[in-house]
Amino acid sequence: MNAVAAPARIGRFGLYGFLIATALFFAIPLLVVISTSLKSLDEIRDFSIFVPPSTPHLAAWWKAWYAACTGLNCGGVHVGFWNSVRILLPSVTLSVLAGALNGYALSHWRVPGADLILLALLLGAFIPYQVILYPLVKITSTIGIYSSLPGIIAVHILFGLPVMTLLFRNFYSGLPDELVKAARVDGAGFWRIFVSVMLPLSVNILIVATILQTTGIWNDYLLGLIFAGRENQPMTVQLNAIATTSTGEIEYNVNMAAALLTALPPLLVYFASGRFFVRGITAGAVKG
Amino acid sequence: MTGVVVRGLAKSYGPVRALQGIDMVVEPGDFAVLLGPSGCGKSTLLNAIAGLDDIDAGSVEIGGVEVTQREPSERGIAMVFQSYALYPTMTVRRNLSFGLRVRSVPKTEIERRVAWVSELLQIGGLLDRKPSQLSGGQRQRVAIGRALVQQAKVFLLDEPLSNLDAKLRSEMRVELKRLHQSLGATIIYVTHDQIEAMTLATRIAVMRAGIIEQYATPDVLYERPATLFVAGFVGSPGMNFLSGSLGRASMPVAKIESDAIPLGSYPFGAPFADGGDVIFGIRPEHVSLADHETRGPVIEAETLFIEPMGADTLGWFQYGSQRLSARLPPQRARGLSGKVRLALDIGQVSLFDPATEQRL
Amino acid sequence: MRIRNLVAKAVLSPTVLVMLVCFYGCAFWTAYLSVTRSALLPNYQFAGVFQYVRLFATPRWNVAWSNMFVFGVLDILGTLSLGVLLAVLIDRQVRFEGAFRTIFLYPLSISFIVTGLTWQWVLSPTIGVQNFVRGLGWSDFVFDWITRPDRAIYTLVFAGVWHQSGLIMAIMLAGLRGIDREIWRATRIEAIPTWRVYLSIVLPMLRPLLVTCVVLIAIAVVKSYDLVVAMTGGGPGYASDLPGKFVVDFAFERANIGQASAAAAVMLGSVLTVLAPYLYVELSRRER
Repeated sequence: MNAVAAPARIGRFGLYGFLIATALFFAIPLLVVISTSLKSLDEIRDFSIFVPPSTPHLAAWWKAWYAACTGLNCGGVHVGFWNSVRILLPSVTLSVLAGALNGYALSHWRVPGADLILLALLLGAFIPYQVILYPLVKITSTIGIYSSLPGIIAVHILFGLPVMTLLFRNFYSGLPDELVKAARVDGAGFWRIFVSVMLPLSVNILIVATILQTTGIWNDYLLGLIFAGRENQPMTVQLNAIATTSTGEIEYNVNMAAALLTALPPLLVYFASGRFFVRGITAGAVKG
Repeated sequence: MTGVVVRGLAKSYGPVRALQGIDMVVEPGDFAVLLGPSGCGKSTLLNAIAGLDDIDAGSVEIGGVEVTQREPSERGIAMVFQSYALYPTMTVRRNLSFGLRVRSVPKTEIERRVAWVSELLQIGGLLDRKPSQLSGGQRQRVAIGRALVQQAKVFLLDEPLSNLDAKLRSEMRVELKRLHQSLGATIIYVTHDQIEAMTLATRIAVMRAGIIEQYATPDVLYERPATLFVAGFVGSPGMNFLSGSLGRASMPVAKIESDAIPLGSYPFGAPFADGGDVIFGIRPEHVSLADHETRGPVIEAETLFIEPMGADTLGWFQYGSQRLSARLPPQRARGLSGKVRLALDIGQVSLFDPATEQRL
Repeated sequence: MRIRNLVAKAVLSPTVLVMLVCFYGCAFWTAYLSVTRSALLPNYQFAGVFQYVRLFATPRWNVAWSNMFVFGVLDILGTLSLGVLLAVLIDRQVRFEGAFRTIFLYPLSISFIVTGLTWQWVLSPTIGVQNFVRGLGWSDFVFDWITRPDRAIYTLVFAGVWHQSGLIMAIMLAGLRGIDREIWRATRIEAIPTWRVYLSIVLPMLRPLLVTCVVLIAIAVVKSYDLVVAMTGGGPGYASDLPGKFVVDFAFERANIGQASAAAAVMLGSVLTVLAPYLYVELSRRER
């Protein structure tokens, strides 16, 4: 039992007070964005965004989805949405799979220089994109995948490799050696053991990894901007283009609706995943 | 010096009744040990006395003052934990002095106490080290030092020696006994090791499933156990338990196997029923090989095997359908086999009612 | 026990190859470019410190560079203070812990673009805080930091702290919960007040974790791109520029590879400066 056995009433009151105040600090920006997206432009002009809408309606959302303009195109963020989905699905699947296989190989199989590889991965996880951006552009255009869907997918897989590998490697190291040994005695090889022994035990870590990658890739901006190509611009890129278009009057409600639409998928994942999300971000942060 | 009085202490964790109406008096200067298997409630009782856990009913008095509602820091106690709970980022010196500094004890007084404790426990050379740089035994002494430095009236120790290896444990036992004698402090000590309890305690409370089965001096516990559980728990090698029934005839006898063992002047607590079942308890050291000088009852048994244990040898015998062990001098035990005649020292026998497990 | 098997090595080789080429090879390529005379196009003529001299003579770079320190220090202090405080408060066994944690962590699930835009709107003088307070009656109220060259960089701190404090809270809370309960009991017996226990005993015990947190935020600051782009666009002018944005702008918009590479090399150097002592301490601590 921790201290504060006889809780000073004032102390407890102050504690909750601070927590609630902070919760408001966190919640209000989002609430403000939601409420403004439900207003008409007149209301936005006349009142501040902290005032709730008098007659909420979804017109701005409709416009954001179908008709918002980024420069010349006025197709709405639904274009970006589907682009993001098309980028997301292969990228997440392949990077999680790659991480799992690598992690498994590094934890239960004798690989020369394994420690060095892990160190290299750890360092790689910290390298900022900007440091290798131009060379990567050169490489991808030489291969012919620059500014294309395969290109952005490849880049996402690339940048996901260090964290994913370390994540799975730490997890698989925690599983007893005897499992693999027993399977070997039974005659199973690398792949058989992976599919029959490792994968069934990996459900939780797979969920964690998927959440981590989904959130990271959906929310990515810079890589999508550079490597995806104009036809495949992800939602975040579209969003920013819409919100920073300065022609004419700024349609805040539409911009905010677009922002919400962009934030919605990962937010839903977040609310649905609870503990897995927390495990993901803390594991991703404390990489090994 | 301060005593501790516990009345009617009860605590439950949901459906589990960890303590059921505990009454206990620890006299000033006593070394009271709470002994029992894991789950018996001994640590719960200690934490309740310390005030670390709330209780459901009952009261605790320390030094004649009712402290049941008070915080641990207001009870005049000091505690040593099983894992020592030393503050890892502080040096030994700071570990010792931190609590005092928080309580604004004058610096000179702090230094005096730290010096006294360092001398007493021989930890002077360790003062500038961190806990991670100390051995198990050294950490133990620092933990004790931290308790002493607070100059509390009652010391509570929760299995402080259980994390040490056997040799260190016996060394520290001697240390603790020495400390108790030189300080004259009141100590309440929790352990599951009955040897520790027997060597250190002035009085032992043997606990099982939330109640105190017997609270007495080590001698009484050993020679006159109040329940079957106490009889079996205390003493190593364990007491022999033989099943039989009681008879009256011209004098009380215990009918075991095909023998009728006269019970002489066994001090029965109450009149017993003729023919009632009985458990006949006798310690291995009170069973010996019969020779022509033997006066008391003698039984015949078949040798099973011999267990050499250094100074003594334990012999195991088949007695009818039951087994019996006897402590034998090694020379006579060597090569022992076949039927033997064993003498029983009736003056050291304990009889129990199998149904109530109480001493008869 | 590791079993010798070719398959494991084969599985790992693509990753190892890709790491070598893309991460390390590209990093070296960038570093090499930074010591050449490249401008619009790569020019592999060795130029010594030419690019760096020019870089640090560029006003915009100097602003970005000093901004990184200002933003970095404030962001680290802010997220650490708030994160640790929240973790400590929640560690005190509050009710509705789940609800609080959900609120404090959700910003981590959304893109920095959304965060940046949200805070841009909240701090906007036209529709945000200033407008709101003026609407309440204080017509002289001014809060236009986001449009002021000398204050814009500080607005990023609001968004940064809002976005990332939850991560620090999650990491530190896990650490706090790992503290041996007997230490807490010992402090109760010694009458040490709760705040003192945290300050003098518990938090010092978690120092490695705190250092990890500092490293994480610091590196995120160095990498910052999305947040600046969405929140201030680097403006007004380049008043809130950061190295992360500088590199991308010079590599693509301004098309000066040499300068971009030099800036990127400086970024890499910053990351290594933060990382090297940290990794050294961490790895030697593990070996012990």
